[in-house]
Amino acid sequence: MPKEYKTPKLDDLEKGPWPSFVKEIKQAAKNNEMSNDLLAVLERSYDERIGHWKHGGIVGVMGYGGGVIGRYIDIPDEYPNISHFHTMRINQPAGWFYTSEALRSICDIWEKHGSGLTNMHGSTGDIVLLGTTTDELEPTFQDLAHVGFDLGGSGSDVRTPSCCVGEARCEWACYDTMGVCYETTMRYQDELHRPAFPYKWKFKFAGCPNDCVAAKARADISVVGTWRDAIKVDDAEVATYYDNGMDIFNDVVLNCPARCMKFDHESKKLEINNADCRRCMHCINAMPKALRPGDDKGATILIGAKAPIIEGALLSSVLIPFLKMEDEEEREAWYDIMEEIQDIWCEEGKNRERIGEFIQRVGMANFLEAVGVEPIPEMVAYPRDNPYIFFEQDEEEE
Amino acid sequence: MAEAQRERLTDIGPPHYEKYLPPVVKKNYGQWKYHELVEPGVMVHVAESGDELYSVRCASPRLLSIQTIRKFADLADKYCDGHLRFTSRHNVEFLTTKKENAAKIKKEAGEMGFPAGGIGHGITSIVHTQGWVHCHSAATDASGVVKAVMDDLFEYFNGEKQVPGKCRIALACCLNMCGAVHCSDIAILGVHTKPPRISHENLNKMCEIPLVSASCPTAAIRPATVDGKASVEVIEEQCMFCANCFTVCPAMPLADPDADGISIWVGGKVSDARSKPMFSKLAVPFIPNNPPRWPETIAAVRKIVEVWADNARPYERVGEWIERVGWPRFFRLTGFEFQKEHVDDFKYAGLSYNRSAQLTHEPWEE
Amino acid sequence: MAMTKDQIAEEMYKAVAEAQEVGKKLKPMDLTKQMVKAYEDEGVDKKMCKAAIKDLVDSGRLVYTYFGGSFLELPHKEGASND
Repeated sequence: MPKEYKTPKLDDLEKGPWPSFVKEIKQAAKNNEMSNDLLAVLERSYDERIGHWKHGGIVGVMGYGGGVIGRYIDIPDEYPNISHFHTMRINQPAGWFYTSEALRSICDIWEKHGSGLTNMHGSTGDIVLLGTTTDELEPTFQDLAHVGFDLGGSGSDVRTPSCCVGEARCEWACYDTMGVCYETTMRYQDELHRPAFPYKWKFKFAGCPNDCVAAKARADISVVGTWRDAIKVDDAEVATYYDNGMDIFNDVVLNCPARCMKFDHESKKLEINNADCRRCMHCINAMPKALRPGDDKGATILIGAKAPIIEGALLSSVLIPFLKMEDEEEREAWYDIMEEIQDIWCEEGKNRERIGEFIQRVGMANFLEAVGVEPIPEMVAYPRDNPYIFFEQDEEEE
Repeated sequence: MAEAQRERLTDIGPPHYEKYLPPVVKKNYGQWKYHELVEPGVMVHVAESGDELYSVRCASPRLLSIQTIRKFADLADKYCDGHLRFTSRHNVEFLTTKKENAAKIKKEAGEMGFPAGGIGHGITSIVHTQGWVHCHSAATDASGVVKAVMDDLFEYFNGEKQVPGKCRIALACCLNMCGAVHCSDIAILGVHTKPPRISHENLNKMCEIPLVSASCPTAAIRPATVDGKASVEVIEEQCMFCANCFTVCPAMPLADPDADGISIWVGGKVSDARSKPMFSKLAVPFIPNNPPRWPETIAAVRKIVEVWADNARPYERVGEWIERVGWPRFFRLTGFEFQKEHVDDFKYAGLSYNRSAQLTHEPWEE
Repeated sequence: MAMTKDQIAEEMYKAVAEAQEVGKKLKPMDLTKQMVKAYEDEGVDKKMCKAAIKDLVDSGRLVYTYFGGSFLELPHKEGASND
């Protein structure tokens, strides 16, 4: 029987309508000493208002440099069962679809080798197995591998790519996010498991500009679905929305950032000037039964998003305005550009410098020149507004 | 032993998603026509073929025991032929082609403690990080704050209360932002407010000095010899407590019970709908950690939700509403004090000054 | 004379050991650059370096470590460990 700890502060978080993580830890603690000690140390953190974890050390299994986050407690004498409490990141299936059988196989392995606690899922998208000892890493890894799962990324490597549900269950998906995410993950297995970059590199695949995976905010390469022909309109459904009380003029037309729509109350017809449409998704979101993205679908590729560390947060910006994702040749050309970018970043990037920061440092125009991509107006919000231009000097003076 | 004999597998990658897709998804892949909200927490997707897929979205604490995951699996077996998925915001979704099953799943999952909700205009799960449960650099807990805030905002999750548009809340327990909260309608961000305490005894043994110096975004760390030992010094006026040095060098901890706490940011978004993606901006610079329920943090988040819900137009996200009515209105309505910390002083700070005479004059008396 | 992958792996191992002697950590990228610079004339390129690193790590002679970024080191009991 695990030792019984008093946890009055945490007990309070068992109350209330939202599912309780404390109940989860207690559930696991019934027959797991690690989870039981975790409960105790967390109560202590709530008392002391400070964490008790140290990082560092182990980062992978033999041969891998990513997928394991080394974690140790700073008071091991008091909580020996969690002296080591390493996290394992497991590459999730694209779109986070599972069968009950697949989930049970993971649970059984984790019951045998770890704390019995997980995150479904980590922010990047991995299945996170929370807490085990160094000795259990390899057996857990191999047990998982034999039911078809592999470790995800951590450290200066390609982080586990992730995607929205895409064509599996969304009429707005403009390309097969799950297919391309899987393809990219498989192509990058070596870079995912063996960190060789200046810092982390994230791929995220969103099926439309609504961006349910926050690609534009956090991925080094954000692949955002879009289309370039006309929005498909079902006039009868537009009329139905109107008849059912929707304020189409105020809620749809006036919210259009391009001011490219007109609505006629008499005929109940919505007219769209598709040449001016910016593919923002608002009208489609508001009237999903009446409006849909066009048929000529693909993706916009943006580059360089990141959270603040080190040089400040960045949103990604346009690299390729439109790529036909279903076209294998276009995809291959895209993979080639990715490789070119990573080569230059590896060559010139500083330690812990994300690609977005690298571009800020060397300048977007210089970066584009180095990777062989022509600058185009789609890449800027506006052209420079300062006259400090570094005109290049003619080199042939001899 | 069998263990030793089996082949060691590496670089196999994730399982192919196709083997986990429900038959109705495989059949209608890329052929979905539209979707509708059926009732709070339940939506239906209709395919060109006429096939229907009901998804029941249930709350999850993200931190799940294997026992609970097995219960999810049992529920999926009972009603969904074993099919389920998780969302990018940690919810669990049960997938069925039968409408009558959707209602049963909603009821049974609710009885298990995992209520349905979070679809459409409302507040769904909070994307969050590890906090004191598992992180070395946490300035606050994650799971506890999320639980307390979502208990308080539950009526916005289960459909009892309506809001003008989507409101995405995210929490990161330090500036590293594993949760990438910087583009959220409401971001709860753990902050340290004291410079690192340097262990000069261990620093040179544990860390590489040039790497430590280079890790500082504001160049506040210089090599120094202290008591005859190679170490570093921190120019404290230049330190903004990001803990980046601590991530590179464990001999420089910053965590402090009284100086660690929570900051609140508002008005970010990642979607392109209507307006372009935006960063979240500072609303409240510092709230002390007050476990287990963080009442001051709950109150601040609720205040933002309420003033936004009362004042925004349909579809307007928090940031869009504030852009329209102006920050003076936001601070007046929320009652948050505008302080020195609200004015940016990092790179490109000037871009955040109000470079225009377009102003509302607060308060407006009718 | 052309160098083999095994020879470059040996050089890499020495470089990491030497760096570690003076308390310096090398990233895989640093190591690769260093090797290509020194032995480019002997046919050493990035690809060969990558393969050599894989061999070194697969055999356990070097391990990856993490301090804000990823490094290659000789296996050792690491500072934060409680062992």
